[in-house]
Amino acid sequence: MVVNREKAGDAWGRRGAARDGRVGGVTAIEGPFWRVIAVFRVASLVYATVLLLRAGGYAHPATGWLVIGFMALWTVATIFAYSDREFHGWPLLMADMLVTLGCLLATPLVQGAYRVGSLPVTGTWMGGAVLAWGVYGGRRVGAAAALIVSLADLWLHGVRGMRFETLPINGTVLLFLAGVLVGHVAKLARQAEARLQRAIEIEVAGRERERIARDIHDSVLQVLALVQRRGQEIGGEAAELGRLAGEQEAALRELVRLRPEPPAAGTADLRTLLQVYGSASVTVSVPATPLTLPAATAGEMAAAVGAALDNVTRHCGPHAPAWVFAESDGGAVIVTVRDEGPGIPEGRLEEAAATGRLGVAQSIRGRIADLGGTVTVLSAPGEGTEIEMSVPVLLASH
Amino acid sequence: MRVMVVDDHPMWRDGVARDLGEAGYEVVAAVGEGGQALRVAAAVRPELVVLDLRLPDLSGVEVARRLAAYDPQPRVLVLSASGEQEDVLEAVKAGASGYLLKSASKEEFLEAVRRTAEGDAVFTPGLAGLVLGEYRRLAAQAAPVDRPRLTERETEVLRLVAKGLSYRQIAERLVLSHRTVQNHVQNTLNKLQLHNRVELVRYAIEQGLDGS
Repeated sequence: MVVNREKAGDAWGRRGAARDGRVGGVTAIEGPFWRVIAVFRVASLVYATVLLLRAGGYAHPATGWLVIGFMALWTVATIFAYSDREFHGWPLLMADMLVTLGCLLATPLVQGAYRVGSLPVTGTWMGGAVLAWGVYGGRRVGAAAALIVSLADLWLHGVRGMRFETLPINGTVLLFLAGVLVGHVAKLARQAEARLQRAIEIEVAGRERERIARDIHDSVLQVLALVQRRGQEIGGEAAELGRLAGEQEAALRELVRLRPEPPAAGTADLRTLLQVYGSASVTVSVPATPLTLPAATAGEMAAAVGAALDNVTRHCGPHAPAWVFAESDGGAVIVTVRDEGPGIPEGRLEEAAATGRLGVAQSIRGRIADLGGTVTVLSAPGEGTEIEMSVPVLLASH
Repeated sequence: MRVMVVDDHPMWRDGVARDLGEAGYEVVAAVGEGGQALRVAAAVRPELVVLDLRLPDLSGVEVARRLAAYDPQPRVLVLSASGEQEDVLEAVKAGASGYLLKSASKEEFLEAVRRTAEGDAVFTPGLAGLVLGEYRRLAAQAAPVDRPRLTERETEVLRLVAKGLSYRQIAERLVLSHRTVQNHVQNTLNKLQLHNRVELVRYAIEQGLDGS
């Protein structure tokens, strides 16, 4: 489980880097890490020099100063190499490790016989490569680097035939801690940066959408509404064009409508689903506050409303006016679909059910009953039809 | 009847002004910006303002709110292509007495202007749904102090308006006079606007006390 998360996080970090157009899987957040490692190398170099001076140059001062000089050159080289993203990658890390091992393993040539408790000629400088691996590849790569350097260090001690009880494992433990911790923190920082980047992208996309919506609102919608209005006045073919313009206006308005915030996972705002039905002939009335329902419930209710509107089209013609009204009275969400068609003669629904033909009213009843709700059909010949669907809302779901 | 048209779209502004002129209204000003509208309104004192909610500088809601403080207070009819429910509700709470979508026909528009001019609220089904929702939102709030309530009859009337019934149809169904239905609708709006003003004053006082 932990492993999976780490992989996902890693992939994310890399993707964020790719989006930035940077090479070597390095994001901007890594910069400070490399600078800290540079400071660590310089300070460790000074420390190693002080150790050499204090020991009077060890057994072989000339070789000692040669190693220190080489370490200084490599320190300068790495400061420049790690600050340039072009050089980041395994070749540099491998070179870093080889140079570090080389300097470390030169210790017997400088110090001669190993003395208990003494540091190698590199001092803490050998930690630089471990930190670099950790920052580049995360805690497991950092641990691998710590293992390599530690084995070399222990092998140095081991050449003198040391027993396990007296093996100096302090350095090993410190190397592992440094590699793992720095690797972990660098990875966390990368993930945080990737998330921030993503949040910024979402924000930018949202703003762009708002801008487009405003533009469409201020230009296209106004003209479409105008065409519709003038078309109706002129009549004839122009009226048909006007009607088409009106339909497009309603569809486009719904498309660019700014949605305040997406509802929580698993829930849906019934208003959003119902407003899709709005058109030149269908008026949708909703409250200004969200009608939040479990997503499945909202979907079923919207489908039931769709079925009712299909029925209006079938019985009253394609451009017959219809009204959809959604409200919440605390305990229930109620949606009413009303038309002004011929209405349903009394007994017609019962007759249809008795002869085994399941009318649309029955399919609506079925859907709503499954949600634990009720359907009331109010109709009289010549007075249109009103289908009221009421579904209880559990307070816990608010 | 002195009318002012506020709309940032020149084609719309001219078309609406022409329709109003042909119908016998005196169009005293037609402007395209909110700030300009407030300045011009102070000078020409329109009795009725046809207001688009989407303006380049001030929001239509803000314009409606400031017009409500003018003396004499002009009646405001919101005419908008906006499907933004929150904006419409805010404009109506701030003092607008009606709302019509721009896709409404010329006849519907002139009818709405006539009723606004007479001092009646112009309730489309959409607006009725918003107002009903607002009362229910207020009813669900924790503080029960002087929050506005609808009577059962008012709720019944508003629901029928939201379902698309005309005042005439509502009057028939509830066996009421047309005028009574009109009064019920008007009352729901008045109570909401009064509550809104009280809330604004209370907010202003709280801010003032905090500041001192």
